[in-house]
Amino acid sequence: MRRSIAQRFLQALIVLVGVVLLTFVMLRVVPGNPIETMMGEHADAATVARMTAELGLDQPMHRQFLRYLSSALRGDFGTSYSLGKPVSLLLKSAFRNTLYLALFAALFAWILGVACGLVCAVSKNRLPDRLFLGFSLLGISLPVFMAAMFLQYVLAFKLKWFPISGTDSWRGFVLPAAALGWNSAGQVAQMTRTSLLETLQEDYIETARAKGLGRFGVLVRHALRNAMLPVLTLMAIQFSGLLSGAVITETVFSINGVGRLMVQAISGRDIPLLQGTSLLATSVVILGSLLADCLYSVLDPRIRKEG
Amino acid sequence: MEHNTLEVRGLTVCFQTAKGAVRPVDDVSLKIPQGSIVGVVGESGCGKSMTARAVMGLVRSPGKITGGSVTLDGRELTSLPEKERRKLRGAEISMIFQEPMSSLNPVMKVGRQVAEAVRLHTGCSRAEARAKTLAIFREVEIPEPEARYDCYPHELSGGLRQRVLIAMAAVCRPKLLIADEPTTALDVTVEAQILKLLERLRDAGVSVLLISHDLGVIARVCDYVYVMYAGRIVEQAGTGVIFDRPQHPYTRGLFRSVASLREGAETLETIPGVVPNLLRLPAGCSFLMRCPSCPARCENEIPPLAETEPGHAVRCFLAGKEGAT
Repeated sequence: MRRSIAQRFLQALIVLVGVVLLTFVMLRVVPGNPIETMMGEHADAATVARMTAELGLDQPMHRQFLRYLSSALRGDFGTSYSLGKPVSLLLKSAFRNTLYLALFAALFAWILGVACGLVCAVSKNRLPDRLFLGFSLLGISLPVFMAAMFLQYVLAFKLKWFPISGTDSWRGFVLPAAALGWNSAGQVAQMTRTSLLETLQEDYIETARAKGLGRFGVLVRHALRNAMLPVLTLMAIQFSGLLSGAVITETVFSINGVGRLMVQAISGRDIPLLQGTSLLATSVVILGSLLADCLYSVLDPRIRKEG
Repeated sequence: MEHNTLEVRGLTVCFQTAKGAVRPVDDVSLKIPQGSIVGVVGESGCGKSMTARAVMGLVRSPGKITGGSVTLDGRELTSLPEKERRKLRGAEISMIFQEPMSSLNPVMKVGRQVAEAVRLHTGCSRAEARAKTLAIFREVEIPEPEARYDCYPHELSGGLRQRVLIAMAAVCRPKLLIADEPTTALDVTVEAQILKLLERLRDAGVSVLLISHDLGVIARVCDYVYVMYAGRIVEQAGTGVIFDRPQHPYTRGLFRSVASLREGAETLETIPGVVPNLLRLPAGCSFLMRCPSCPARCENEIPPLAETEPGHAVRCFLAGKEGAT
């Protein structure tokens, strides 16, 4: 078990370095000069050359990479070209907002999703099942921006229950989290339903019934934990997805999160910022799946043994 | 008069399907005298497991018990509300299943799975439940019970898992234990041990309903045997009697198709044809299509289950007469 976790950590590290290298190379290989983009069409050649040298972009690529890597290890990800601030500072404040949004959205999605899936499974093919299934299907198929604008219109503009945008208080996060989480909730609900129905067909469910447990006892004590294993994997994927930035939701509700920062970096050809945001997104995804693996082995003794 | 732990009379289970009604259990009557092992034998799909399920009250929707009665120590079960039935399940009637590999919850320690049954029915404390579980583990001869208590199912062999399941079924001292093909998934040496265990439980006063398609198993432990075919009982007799002089052509076919090493037989005898589709049962005898000798009468009339000698009943018009072979 401990060995396998160590192994996973090593793998994660390798992936991380690989992604850094890949973004690094790609950003320098794409055509167009970032300095020219930054300074506009009318910049004179001398200034461009001076800036290029100042930012170290004239150096050979491997030297640039090593320099980036060594300062990144010390927590210095460079200074954003377009915003003029240290990337680490920008990331920190953006990640804070994204983290809140992701936590809210995940909480909303998972509680609602698991509950819906549970109701669906126990009322299979009857009215509650169809109703909640429809609700989750809507969440999956509705584009996030539509859900966002719909919620904004009804709950913020018409009913004035929540602010339309901004992140001044926790109330500002409710609507974006709901809009963002609806999709995840739908996925979780469907997965929970399918997995639970499958689990309820297992032989050990019959054993539990023969033991004298009632419907509820069988469901909670024997079916749920087994059924949640695949759902957990989905949740981990979702959470790292949520954490790496939700561009559309952040835009609709004007939240300064990682997603918006990344878009800003791309449109401004802001190399340090782009590198920083993609590094952050990658680390979050890797960390998420690592966490899921650990959790999985806690929940399923069969995996614990293989490790 | 001997006391019957279980009496089933005219039990019928019906499934409404899109293609029509199916009766996997049709007018089945059987009884289990206290402290005996009674076998139900038949091929897959003959309704033997469904009969067991109906006795447990575990027939899954859309299946329904549409007729007959099931009494445990004289108490009618079919009309009991689910809440009451649940209290009996695992306490007074318990069941072990065919697949020891998949019949235990993979994410729960086996000891706790057994203790769960104890706590459910006695409401005793965790420590007491643990003590009782360890005691029953010893009784079913699980080696190192303390260590096994904290094992997960995947850490145990098939035989040990079946012992755990038997322990779970026996821990509350049930009146009736239903064993549905308990040894089918196990190898022969383990099978012998498990059967011995069932006999020990019988000797302790538990009545056992043993379901099997394996005539060897039936012959070894059962006191009385019911043969089922297409949802109906076609023959019933004491084990010695039925092995000595089977009457129904299906029973005879079953006995003939047992592989024997003794007589140097070259080919394995089989019963020709297949089990009839329960949706399209013939109007008369359901064995009609496969019977080596059927008079015209069998086509329109279901033969009654008639006694040919005391304690031996056969559902065949030719039973007891010569030329029935």
